[in-house]
Amino acid sequence: MAGLSIKNINKRFGETEVLKGVSLDIADGEFVSLVGPSGCGKSTLLRIIAGLEEQTSGDVQIGGASVAGQRAADRNLSMVFQSYALYPHLSVGENIAVPLRMRRMNTLQRLPLLGGVMPGKTRRAEEIAKEVTHAAEILEIAHLLDRKPGQLSGGQRQRVALGRALVRDPAAFLLDEPLSNLDAKLRVQTRAEIAQLHRQLKATFVYVTHDQVEAMTMSDRIAVMMGGRILQCAAPETVYDDPDRIEVAEFIGSPKINLLPVELSETGQVHLLGEPLSLTTGRRTKAVGSLGLRPEALFLTDSNAPLRGQIVHTENLGSELFVQVEVNGLGSRITFRTTPDKRASLAQGATVGLDFDADKALIFDAIGARVRDTHSTTTSKTEVA
Amino acid sequence: MTRDWWKHLLLILGVIVVIAPFYMMVSYSFKSPGEIDRGEGGFFGRQELMVDERCVVRRDPSRADITAAAPRFPGQNDRDIRDALVAEAETDCSMRPVVFNYTMAFTEAPLLRYLMNGIIVTASIFLIQVVVALPAAYALAKLKFWGRDAVFALVLFCLLIPVHAIALPLYILLAKLGLTNTYAALVVPWTISVFGIFLMRQFFMTVPDDLIDAARMDGMSEFAIVWRVMLPTAIPALLAFAIFSIVAHWNDYFWPRIVVTGNRDLFTPPLGLREFKGGGDGSFFGPMMATATVIVTPLIVAFMLAQRRFIEGITLSGMK
Repeated sequence: MAGLSIKNINKRFGETEVLKGVSLDIADGEFVSLVGPSGCGKSTLLRIIAGLEEQTSGDVQIGGASVAGQRAADRNLSMVFQSYALYPHLSVGENIAVPLRMRRMNTLQRLPLLGGVMPGKTRRAEEIAKEVTHAAEILEIAHLLDRKPGQLSGGQRQRVALGRALVRDPAAFLLDEPLSNLDAKLRVQTRAEIAQLHRQLKATFVYVTHDQVEAMTMSDRIAVMMGGRILQCAAPETVYDDPDRIEVAEFIGSPKINLLPVELSETGQVHLLGEPLSLTTGRRTKAVGSLGLRPEALFLTDSNAPLRGQIVHTENLGSELFVQVEVNGLGSRITFRTTPDKRASLAQGATVGLDFDADKALIFDAIGARVRDTHSTTTSKTEVA
Repeated sequence: MTRDWWKHLLLILGVIVVIAPFYMMVSYSFKSPGEIDRGEGGFFGRQELMVDERCVVRRDPSRADITAAAPRFPGQNDRDIRDALVAEAETDCSMRPVVFNYTMAFTEAPLLRYLMNGIIVTASIFLIQVVVALPAAYALAKLKFWGRDAVFALVLFCLLIPVHAIALPLYILLAKLGLTNTYAALVVPWTISVFGIFLMRQFFMTVPDDLIDAARMDGMSEFAIVWRVMLPTAIPALLAFAIFSIVAHWNDYFWPRIVVTGNRDLFTPPLGLREFKGGGDGSFFGPMMATATVIVTPLIVAFMLAQRRFIEGITLSGMK
């Protein structure tokens, strides 16, 4: 086990700059997710950490020591691939044993037939078999050891890939979208199992995904990447509640955050659709910006609603109800969350008034940076049924 | 079905064209020379006892033989003894045509030696071709290096060069090196198969990069990846290549004929057929066809065994 440290990594593929000065410190035993839309450079970063790709500039350190120029094999990292990448001609047990065989046996001992008579082979083979069985038991695939990968289901293959990664006690685990080939139900289940595995092994995990739900549910910290940069790296709740940039706020959260155009006046007052909101910021310059409201920050109100509009669509998820409202004077939809028991009063086409919790409102300036030190100017309103 | 009858007819005609020479070959290998000349006897011939004239001639009794045999024929003169001995020889030398043909095939020429040479040569060629082609194909398919596309273009270009165009320079090269009339002359010119490199490269392109990266993470060197990961996944393609390569070199007459000039110990099976080429006393079609049958049988058996995987390998594009 060891921590990882990524220092100012740049990567170019010809003319395109994929990574632009990425730095990240990952503590020993930490679970960090790299999350971002496809093409943001998260997989490239993982491959650079693994040693499968070489950075144009910058440095990667594992356990405090630079691994510049080291082959992937010598970095003592394990990787789980999206396609699982199991050796199709080897059984499950042999697949899991490969990393151990490559490290503990010499070339002669690995020879197909001759290897059997080499000194020390039997003892090593027994050691390896024991560790393979142990890893298989952790992942509950001990009964599959003799099968070929072709005979396994997606979920089982995924476990074998995990088994091959964890059998050799690496400095860190690198996982490249390991759940994206599983069906939705299995994904939820495996998500919990990987988190459990992390707690059990107390190992360093770097997890690449484009699915913010996976990142939110499993990680100690999330690094949100976009356009070759890490925009924010913080605990999941911080990234959700307190995003540094508008792109982060937009990417994290489902349904997406509502963004409304606002004007900021010299006094710090925030105006929406020309009307002043009960919200001020510390910024004393006139500017345009965006008001970010999570669906759960909005609530229905009758009196004095700053937002009014017609219901155009409702989605009932059983435990909660998401309602899309076409806001008057705005020409765009916003989504708010409520409980399903309100459904009767929320018929399609009905006009509703919406207010929001000023404490949960997020203000961003024209270039998308967060404007902090916002203050609510009134006492909070009560939700009206 | 009825609409497709003409397709079947066409296929049947094709089959006949392909099968006919084989039919003739096998049939001739069963028949006596007379039946072959007269074109009678059906597929198997009548299998009547025939007398091997050359065998009788070889046993023509000498003066000493007659004297030695005299006690067996008391009271007869030398002429009668001689006739009796010739008659004996004729009975001993008479056999069924099929036995005659196949015995001739193996005794007249050292056919077993030729078959052995064929195995040595084709196996060496194929093994070295694989040893060269797999790493080359892997590098061309999966490694990034300066000039890769140019090298691959060269491979494609080499595919266009017919063997016969470079046979003479090759022969001169081997002759100057003093390698003619050696196994090396039969093997070395074929060891780098651009077709093999091309075929395996195309197959390797379909192998996911993740698999190779996983092998690297597991601690394999690039050579280990070639032999431990790529080779096992490429078995169907390799089998297809094996059939192309082995058939081509087992049946090759042209090249061995050029580089093996004197030494009959180096003859490959097709060169063995020359032994029965018509001389002063006419061609021995029966034994010749028996030899041909013996030569192609290993190939046919091998193809039958590998048939399924062979077709799998040829239709590579269909697999994922």
